[in-house]
Amino acid sequence: MRKILLITGTVFVLGLIISIPGKKLARDHVNIKTAVTDHPLLCTNCHLHIHKRSPFAGLDKVNYRSPLNLVVSNDGKLIYVAAQDGNALIVANVEEGKVIHEIEVGNKPHTVILDKSGKKAYISNQWSDNVYVIDLREYRITDTLLTGNGPAGMSLSSDEKFLYVVNSYSSDLTIIDLETGIETKRLTMGNNPTGAALSPDGSDLYVTSRRANIAHYGEPLVSELTVVNDKTKRIKAYMGMESAYLMENVAFTPSGDMAVVTLVRPKNMVPSIQVERGFMMTHGIGIVERKENGRIIQLLTDEPNAYYSDPFDIAITPDGKRAFVSNSGVDCITVIDVDSVRSLIAGSTPEMLKLWPDHLGISSSYVIRRIPTGANPKGLALSPDGRTLFVAERLEDRISVISTDKMETIKTIDLGGPRRITVTRHGRRLLNNAGHTFQNQYSCYTCHPDEHEDGLVYNMASKDMGRNITNTQSLRDISDTPPFKWNGKNQTVFKQDGIRFSTVLTRTEPFSYPELDAISSYIMTGIKYPPNLRFNPSGKLTEAQERGKNIFERTKDNLGNIIPENNRCIFCHPAPYYTNLKQVDVKTLSASDDSILFDTPHLNNIYASAPYLHDGRAISLEEIWTLYGKEDKHGLVGDMTKNQLNDLIEYLKSLRSPDYNDKSSEIHEASIYH
Amino acid sequence: MKMKKIIRNRYFTIAVIFLMAIVSISMIFILRDNNRGEKKDTPVTLAVVHSDSGSNPEQQEHLTGTMGTLPPVPVYGKWRNFTIKDGLPSDKTYCVRIDGERVLVGTHDGLAVYQNGKWSTYTTKDGLAHNGIVSIDVSELTGDVWIGTLGGLSRWSAGKFETFNQFNSGMPNDLVYCVICDGKDVWVATGGGAGHYDTFTKEWEIFTEKNAPMHEPWTYGVSAGDGKIFIAAWGGGVIEYNTRTKQFRDYTDPDGFMEIDLQPDDGVVHDITTATSWADGILWVSTYFGMSRYDGKYWKGYFDHDSGLASNFINFLRAEGPVVFVCSDRGLSSTNGESWVTYKKNDNNENGVAIITNGKEKREIPLSPSIAHNYIIGVDEENGILWVATSKGVSRGELMK
Amino acid sequence: MVLSGICLISCGKKSMEGMIIITVADDKISSTDSITGKSWRYVPGSHLYAIDPGKPGNIPESLTENYFSACSPEISFDGKYMLFAAQKNQGDSWQIWEMNLASRKLSPVTSDTENSFDPAYLPGGRLVFSRTIANDSLKSGHTLFTCNTDGTNLQRITFNPHSYSGSSVLKDGRILTIGRQVFPKESSPEMMVLRPDGTKSELFYKSNDEVELLSRSWETSDGKIIFIESDKNNGIRKRLVSISYNRPLHSIVDLSSGIAGDFCSAFPVDPGRLLVTYRTTENENYSLFNFDPVSRELGDQIYKSPDKSILEAVVVREHERQKKLPSEVDAGVKTGLLFCQNIAITGSSSPDNIYSLSAGDKIEIIGVDSSLGVVNVEKDGSFYLKITADMPFKLKIIDAAGKTLFGPGSWIWLRPNERRGCTGCHEDHETVPANRVALAVKNQPVTVPVHRSRIKEKQVELE
Repeated sequence: MRKILLITGTVFVLGLIISIPGKKLARDHVNIKTAVTDHPLLCTNCHLHIHKRSPFAGLDKVNYRSPLNLVVSNDGKLIYVAAQDGNALIVANVEEGKVIHEIEVGNKPHTVILDKSGKKAYISNQWSDNVYVIDLREYRITDTLLTGNGPAGMSLSSDEKFLYVVNSYSSDLTIIDLETGIETKRLTMGNNPTGAALSPDGSDLYVTSRRANIAHYGEPLVSELTVVNDKTKRIKAYMGMESAYLMENVAFTPSGDMAVVTLVRPKNMVPSIQVERGFMMTHGIGIVERKENGRIIQLLTDEPNAYYSDPFDIAITPDGKRAFVSNSGVDCITVIDVDSVRSLIAGSTPEMLKLWPDHLGISSSYVIRRIPTGANPKGLALSPDGRTLFVAERLEDRISVISTDKMETIKTIDLGGPRRITVTRHGRRLLNNAGHTFQNQYSCYTCHPDEHEDGLVYNMASKDMGRNITNTQSLRDISDTPPFKWNGKNQTVFKQDGIRFSTVLTRTEPFSYPELDAISSYIMTGIKYPPNLRFNPSGKLTEAQERGKNIFERTKDNLGNIIPENNRCIFCHPAPYYTNLKQVDVKTLSASDDSILFDTPHLNNIYASAPYLHDGRAISLEEIWTLYGKEDKHGLVGDMTKNQLNDLIEYLKSLRSPDYNDKSSEIHEASIYH
Repeated sequence: MKMKKIIRNRYFTIAVIFLMAIVSISMIFILRDNNRGEKKDTPVTLAVVHSDSGSNPEQQEHLTGTMGTLPPVPVYGKWRNFTIKDGLPSDKTYCVRIDGERVLVGTHDGLAVYQNGKWSTYTTKDGLAHNGIVSIDVSELTGDVWIGTLGGLSRWSAGKFETFNQFNSGMPNDLVYCVICDGKDVWVATGGGAGHYDTFTKEWEIFTEKNAPMHEPWTYGVSAGDGKIFIAAWGGGVIEYNTRTKQFRDYTDPDGFMEIDLQPDDGVVHDITTATSWADGILWVSTYFGMSRYDGKYWKGYFDHDSGLASNFINFLRAEGPVVFVCSDRGLSSTNGESWVTYKKNDNNENGVAIITNGKEKREIPLSPSIAHNYIIGVDEENGILWVATSKGVSRGELMK
Repeated sequence: MVLSGICLISCGKKSMEGMIIITVADDKISSTDSITGKSWRYVPGSHLYAIDPGKPGNIPESLTENYFSACSPEISFDGKYMLFAAQKNQGDSWQIWEMNLASRKLSPVTSDTENSFDPAYLPGGRLVFSRTIANDSLKSGHTLFTCNTDGTNLQRITFNPHSYSGSSVLKDGRILTIGRQVFPKESSPEMMVLRPDGTKSELFYKSNDEVELLSRSWETSDGKIIFIESDKNNGIRKRLVSISYNRPLHSIVDLSSGIAGDFCSAFPVDPGRLLVTYRTTENENYSLFNFDPVSRELGDQIYKSPDKSILEAVVVREHERQKKLPSEVDAGVKTGLLFCQNIAITGSSSPDNIYSLSAGDKIEIIGVDSSLGVVNVEKDGSFYLKITADMPFKLKIIDAAGKTLFGPGSWIWLRPNERRGCTGCHEDHETVPANRVALAVKNQPVTVPVHRSRIKEKQVELE
C-alpha cells in the first residue's frame, strides 16, 4: 500500500514538475508563432494542419471535387462539369439529381464545351497544357490537343473546323485545326486571359483578360477585351476596359447587340485608408455595344452599403431579358434586368456614363434579385429553354439548380465529394469569401486570384498616405519562406492575417482563432504552384538555361575577378525556394519608401509574377537589371553581355516549385503525365 | 556614316594605293570577261516599241526590259509622289511596305499609313517605340505589323502598339535596321546582333560574333527563304542560318579586298553587306560596293560600270519573284539578273527617265514626273504597283500597260 | 451549500425569455423636445414592465418600481441582461443601469451629475449612450460616449456641435444614431452612422423634406431599418417607415400608409412581424400591437394600458451579436488625416454637379469660433490635411479672391490617428473615388490649424 502511494505520489509530483514549465514553454512557443498571448494551446492547430513536414501532416486530407465550369446537354437532361480538384469530367442527370458518370481528365480541368451535335466534349486541362476531346456516347477520350500554357476558356469556330483555346498563363490564344489536331496560330491576347465566347452570328470571338496591362504605378489601369475575327482568324480589336480588371468571363445577348463581361474596379491608387464608400474595391459588369461607334460602358452591381465581390461568370437567358452573374465572394447570384440596362444606357449622356462606373446606387435600377447559393459559386450554364440555371458551387462540391422564373434554388446536385469540411477546406472557403471584409467589399481572392497575385501595386497608406506603395505578392507555396510581407515584418501567417490585418485592411471583426487557424492552414499547406510547363516541364534545362544557371551561381565576373559573396545571385537566392529568408538592401528603395530592408523574395515560378521589385517598377525581369540594377547592388551584372543577361533570365524563368522535382509527388504525376 | 567608318580606318590610304595598281590590271580581265559574255548572249531583242525619245511611254504596251528566256523586267510609270504637302509626317522616308489595301511608310517622324487615298500618322504618342522607322514587315500568319525603329521594335496589332527593346526584353539592341516575319518567327537585324523572336514561346535568341560566324555584332539586313535566314552582317558578308538544323554558314568576299571586287563572281562582292533578299531560289545581296546574286551554286556580281545598276552604293533591295528592286543613292534599279530598268530623277525638275539596259544597249524612256528623289532607301511591289521610299518623299508607280 | 445558494439566488426569478418589456408613461405624451430629449428620450414618471405575450390576462410585472422614471430598454445579445436609462428619484439626473433579467439584480453603469440615456449594447462588453456635458466648449447638445458595462473606460466619441440620441447598433458594428446640428443654428435631424471609436462618421439617412425622426431605429433580420418619422404631408402624423440598409438614402417606404393614427415606436421581432406602439387619435394613449411589414397591416393588440401610454417595446431573447470592429484610434496621436480626391465633385451624381475647377481654388477650414486656415487645392482638385484630432470643423471651397464657391458643409471631426477619405465635397454619398493617384498625397499633409507650428507626432505604422 505504501508502495502504491509512493509511486502515485512520485508520478503526481513529476507530472506537476513537467507540466507547469511544459505549459509555460508551450505558451511561449505559441505566443511567438501567433504574435498574440491568448491563442488557444492546441498542438494540432499547427502540427496537424499547418506544418507541411510534421509527421501528422495530411492526416485529415480528403479529395474534394471543386466544380469550376459546366455545360448543359442540348436536351437539357445532362450537365457536364469540369471538376477542378477532382481532375474529372463529371456527368450528372438533372432530373435524377445525381452523378451518372465520371471521366478522369488532365490536371486542373478548367472549362468544358460541347460541339453543336452534343456528341463531343472538349475539356481544357489548365495544368497539363492540353485539351482532351471526349466522345460523349462512349465517354471515351479520343484525342489530346496540345495548347499553350494554362488552357482555360474555349470556343469552337463558327464552322466547327477550328478550336479556340485561351492560354491563361502565356496570355495568348491557340487556334487548333480540328482536322489535323495541330495548332496553326497563336494570337497575343490581353494579360492573363480566361473567358471566351463566340458572338451569336459567329463573326467574332471575344476573349476576356483578368490582369490589367502591366504599367507603372500611377499610369491608367486598363484591361483588354480582345476580339478575334472568326473568318480571318486574326485579331480585330483590343478593347480597353479602363480602371477595371478581373474580367473573368463574357456572354452575348441573343441578338448579339451587346457583349457583357464581369469585372472588378480596384482602387489600388487610392490610399487604403478606409473601406467605407468603396475606397478599396467595387464590382460590376462591362458592356460593349456591338455596332459602329458602339460604346464601352461599365456599371456596378454593388450597392452603397453592400458589395457583391468577385463576379465570375455571366449567363443571359435565350429571350435576352435576364442576365445572371455569379458573385463568388459572397455566395450569391445577381439577377440583372437587361431591358432596364438598355433603357438606362440609352438615356445616359456621355457625362453620365462617366459617372455610373463609380456610382453605387445606380444598380437598383437594373439589379432585381440576389439569389443565395452554396460556397463559392463559379461557372454558370443555362438550360436550352432558359428556364433553369445551373451553378457550379466550387467549394460546396455541388451544383445548384435555379428556376429562372421563380429566381430561387429548386434543387442541388451533389457531386460526390466528401461532406466533411477539413480545416484546410474551411480556410480555402474563408480565403475565397468576402465575409470578413467590411460590407463584403473584397475577399483575399480579389487581390490574390487563384491564390496568386493580381499584378497591381497598391497604396497601402503606411504612415502618410503617399508612402510605401507595394506590389501584391503571391500566396502560392509560401509556407517555407517566412518571414512574410515585402519588408519581412510578419514572422508567421498568423500575424499577417491577425488583428492588424483587420485594423488596416479588412476593417471589420478579425478572424476568430479557429478561422485564423483554418486560413493559415490553407495558405501554408493548400496552395501549390502550377507546373512550370512553359519554361521547365521536365526538370531538364535548355542550353540557354544551363548557361544562365552558371551565371546565377558564378563566383567570378567576366574578367576573372572574384564577386563578393553577398553580391552573387546564389547567395541571397539559394535553392530550393531561392531565398535565404533574410532581409537585405538592394538599393531599390524609392524616395517615397521608408528606410527599410527588403525580405528576399522566393523565385519559383517568378516568370508568372510581373511586375517586379517591391513596388512593381520593373515591367519585366530584364528591367530589374537593365534599368534598376545599374549600381550592381542587386547582384553584379555590369560586366554581362546581353546574351548573358538573356541566359540568366532564361534560367530564372525555369525555376519551379521543389514539389515538381519529386517524381513520386502527386502534383508532379498529375501535371507531367497527363 | 558607315563610309566614314571605313575612311577612319588608318590602313585605308595604304590599301588604296596598293589596290590602284591591281585595279588597273584587273580591269583588263573584267572587260575581257564582259566581252566574252556578250558573245555568249543571244542578240538583244527589246519588247519595247522603239520610238522617239519624246514619245509618251504611257501609250506603250507591255513595256518591259527583257532578254533571252528570262521573265521580263517590268517598267513602272504614272509616277505619283507624296510629301509633307500630301500628308506625310516627313519627307525623309526610310521604308515602305504594302499591306493589302493600305501602304505603310516608315519616315523620320513616325509611321505613315496610306489608305483610301488618305495619309494618317502614328508616332510615339500612339505607343510607337520610336519615330525613326527604318523597317516594316507584316506577318502573313497573324496580320500583325512589325516595325523596326531607331529606338526599338514595335508590334502593331489591331491598332495596339507593343514595344520590345533591349531594356524590357531579350532583344539584342534598339537600333533595328531590319525586321522580317517568317511564319511564327520574327527576325531583326540590329546594331547589337541579329535577333530571333518566337511568337509562340515569346522567347528571344541573339546571334552575335559570340555565337555566330560574324566579325562584329552589327547587322543591317535579314531575309528568309528556303528554310534559311540570310543575315547581312557588317564586315561579315552574309550569314546563313538553317532554321531546321540550327546551323550557320557564312558567305564572305573571297578576295577580301575592301575597295574593289578583285576576282569577279567569286562570291559576295563585299563583306560590308547592307541587305539580302531571297525569291525564286535566288539570293540577292546588296553592299555599298555593288550587288551580288547567288543561285545556290554560283555567285555573280553587278556594278554600276558593267550593268544597268544605278550605283554601287546600295542601301536596300527587295526581290519579288524573278525581279529584284535595288535602292541606291543614285536611283532605283530593277533587274532579273541580265536586263535592267533603272529609274532616275532630273536634278532640276520633277521629271526623269527609265533607263532600260540590255547588255550594252540602253534605251531611255522619259518620265513625267519621275520618282521623288534619286536617294532611295526602301521599295515594295505588289499587284503591279511599285512604292519607293526616297529622301524626298515616297513615290508610287504603276506597271506600264 | 455554496452552489445551492447561488442556485437559489439565480433561480429566484423565472427566466424572461420571450417576454416583452415595455416603457409605460403616465398619461398622454406631452409635446416632446427633441433637442433636450425631454418627454421624448427620457420621460418623467415612465416605468418598465414585463408582459408575457403568451398570457394576455396576466398583470405586467413592474421592473423599475424603485425608480422615479425608467425608459429605453435594450436587451443584451445573450438575452440575459437589460440596459435602461433611469432617474432614481425625482430631480435626480438620468443614469444608465443594467439589470440581470434572471435575478432582476440591478447595477449602475454610469454615475454622473449630467443626464445619460439611450443605452445600446456594443460587442465586447461595452455600450454606447448619450450624455449632456455642462459648459461644453464644442457647444454640443447630447454627446455620444462608450464605456464598459461596469462603467469603466469611458470614452467620448462625438466631437461636433450636434445633439445625438436614439442610438442603436447595426449588424456591421457601427452605431446608428439621430444627430441634429445645434450650433450655429438648429437644423433638422439626420440619421448618422459612425464606428464605435468615433471614426468614419457619416450620413446614413436624411429625408429630403423637413421631417422629424421620432424614434430609435432598429435593423431587421432582412436588411431593413425601421423607425418613426413625422409625415411630410401631415406634420402632426407620426408614420412608421422603413429604409434599406443597402441603400438607405433612396429606399424610404411608408409602412403605415393608409393607416390613420400615430405610431410611437417599432421593434422587429422577425421578418414578418414588428411590435409597434400605436394610437388611432391624438387623444388616445399608445397601445402595443403586432404589425405585418409585408402586408403593411396592423395586427392584434397585444397590450393596452387603461390610463397610460406605451412608448417602446423590446423582446427578451438571444439575438445575433453585431460585428466587433477594430479601432485605428491611438490616443497617443494628436491628429487625424483627411484626404479629398476632387473638390470639383459636389452634390448628387449628375454632370451638373461637377463644377469646373479653376486655378487658385482653395478650401477654407472653419472652426467653431474662428477660421482654422486656407489651404491651396492641387490642380486635380485634391487636398490632404493633418488636423488636430477631436476638434469640429467645416470645409468650404473659395476662389482665389476668397469668394465662397461651395459650402460650408457639415461639422465633422477626426479621431486621433484616424485616416479619412472623401471623394468630393459634400458629394453624392453613393459615389466612390476614381482610381488615380491624387497629387495631394504625393506631398506631406498640410497641418491644420495652419498657424500651428510643426506637430511633433507619434509615428504609427498601419501597414
